[in-house]
Amino acid sequence: MKNIIALQLLFFTSITLAQNNSNLTVGFESNSQYYMDDEKTGDFTEENKFRSNNYLKIDYLISNFYFGIQAESYEPMSLLNYSPDFNQTNIALYYAGYKSKKIEVAAGYFYEQYGSGLILRSWENRQLGINNALRGAKVKFSPSDNIEFSALYGSQRSGFDVSDASIYGFNSEINISSILKVDTWNLDLGFSYVGRKEVNDNLVFNFNDLTNAISARVNFSKNNFYSSAEFVSKSNDGLIILQEVRNVKPGNAFLFDFGYGKKGFGINANFRRIENMNFYSERNATGNIYNQNIINYIPALTKQHDYLLTNIYVYQAQPQVSFQDPTLLKIGEIGGQVDLFYTLKKKTVLGGKYGTKIALNMSYWAGLSGDFDYENFDYGADTFGIGEKYFSEISLEIRKKWSRSWSSIFYYVNQSYNKRYIEETFGNVETDIFVGEATYKLGSGKSLRFEAQHLWTQDDKKNWTGATLEFNLNSKLAIYANNIYNYGNDDESKKINYYNLGGSYTKGAQRFTLNYGRQRGGLICIGGVCRFVPESTGITANIVLSF
Amino acid sequence: MKYLLVLVYFLCYNTAFSQTTIPNITLNTLNGKSVKIQDEISKDKITILSFWASWCVPCINELDAISEVYEDWQEDFNMELIAISTDDARTQKRIRPMVNGKGWPYKILLDKNQELKRALNISTIPQIIILKDSKIIYIHSGYSPGVEDEFYDIIKENSN
Repeated sequence: MKNIIALQLLFFTSITLAQNNSNLTVGFESNSQYYMDDEKTGDFTEENKFRSNNYLKIDYLISNFYFGIQAESYEPMSLLNYSPDFNQTNIALYYAGYKSKKIEVAAGYFYEQYGSGLILRSWENRQLGINNALRGAKVKFSPSDNIEFSALYGSQRSGFDVSDASIYGFNSEINISSILKVDTWNLDLGFSYVGRKEVNDNLVFNFNDLTNAISARVNFSKNNFYSSAEFVSKSNDGLIILQEVRNVKPGNAFLFDFGYGKKGFGINANFRRIENMNFYSERNATGNIYNQNIINYIPALTKQHDYLLTNIYVYQAQPQVSFQDPTLLKIGEIGGQVDLFYTLKKKTVLGGKYGTKIALNMSYWAGLSGDFDYENFDYGADTFGIGEKYFSEISLEIRKKWSRSWSSIFYYVNQSYNKRYIEETFGNVETDIFVGEATYKLGSGKSLRFEAQHLWTQDDKKNWTGATLEFNLNSKLAIYANNIYNYGNDDESKKINYYNLGGSYTKGAQRFTLNYGRQRGGLICIGGVCRFVPESTGITANIVLSF
Repeated sequence: MKYLLVLVYFLCYNTAFSQTTIPNITLNTLNGKSVKIQDEISKDKITILSFWASWCVPCINELDAISEVYEDWQEDFNMELIAISTDDARTQKRIRPMVNGKGWPYKILLDKNQELKRALNISTIPQIIILKDSKIIYIHSGYSPGVEDEFYDIIKENSN
């Protein structure tokens, strides 16, 4: 009841304040699932077959001020494998602020990112159950167009509460080239500090309550060339292995990127080295499977795929120290990727009438090598030593339009996935994946899209095949069916069809989708963060409304 | 249940206060420069904002399809498309080579931590927003091949 009163209050306040330069917006999202028993994959044995995650966000803007609130409801329970802290209905976020050209002030809950997020990122991803907003205040000050300073203080959201630690942050961005009034090249510098203060009650190991992290960044571009580098260093902190403090170690990360581009051609390369860079708002949350209490963002720098079979063996960044057994020791990762994009020109032999678009990605990631002392949970990392190979991938995408109504995509992926090291289980998986996609436009908004996929591997669950058929009746209504089938599985009972049928209706910003089917258990990954979902069968409904 | 009540309450009373303008949020150019979105939207042009990401296949299909006809559109009308990438640090570095390699003619802006996407309550991409005189006149989410013809009609209807 308290919630409704709060919402009403906000609503009436906004009405009274309503003027020409004010704007009230409402966003609502609901993701529900009805889980069903399945003769192939087994009965649904958890509580509550019907589960629903709901988000209502109300924002009010009046000249330079803004006010907002987000209510969340997980009733009767949140979807499978969301953090158990997301339960019942409550006000999750409230915020207010002021924004002008020179000054920004925010209070309540807010999101923030410093640099690429390697030192600090708070954001929301509802599909992954991540909302690590900070509750407190932040101030941003830009004395001129070339300089920006900001500072923050807060506690991190955890479920409907906040975690025990205090987070302090400072960030600066300086554009050197515009201060010097140069426009033939561009040079930016960035410097950040993030502190996390959580009481150390450990009796054996001595380390400070406050853990300090600093980041320095440089960004340079001239004509068609560009490059950037970022270095992060984290001070001595308790090293959590198997849920306990086992040692005291510092951490660091280095990221380097460069590229070249002109019309029709682009290339980019990343290199990254990370050592013991897990950073959580509560030390005890280290390595939690629900992605809660994350302070910094360390995505896997590999290509993010969008097809069903290319998303079975997904690499995840390995910033953590892990001493599972004497043959499985991890202290970080080192590696890189290269991306290349090229358009074969129109009206050439290979380009054809419409041109052909090619994208190539190659990545290689390995563990950091070093000296390990398994008994004492200690190590010394080599500066640029390449240890056990974790993952490599080559993918080639060719997009071709054949005529006004036909177009197609060919996609090939070769992966080497070290399951023992990435998932800390056993085995190594080598795959070849092929995807062919064709779209046929039938006119007046109607179109058909067909996808055929195959994954070849001698390892793990062996071969898979899959297909998708999508029919767009018009720009608002679409129906689809897809299926992936693990026909190569050695275990007859695991030769399962993961089929899905569904449709979506879109009108403006409003969207409704309905799906019935069987979901493959595994990782759902968005932006390099993954959430594990168990195998399930059922009906899913999603509603997105925006006013 | 009370949650539903609140929703119904808002549906009934608040439709008049819909999203009509773009909140003035700071984005970045490919060179890393900070810009305010409202300064980037031309007052005298019809502007299409396309929210996309480098890993989103339908988004790329849409931007590829529009790039085929973009020259004609710009010839016929006083219009511009701004492609706003919602990629985060994982895939952000792929944007510049991708835009170059594909030869896209659009202005590209980066919504690094999805602040603008969140402010506009965008849950799924691709999402297209068409603006005239800085006011929202059309929204479409999802891509169905050929929908660009519908965008063309909207621009035509709203061009003088």
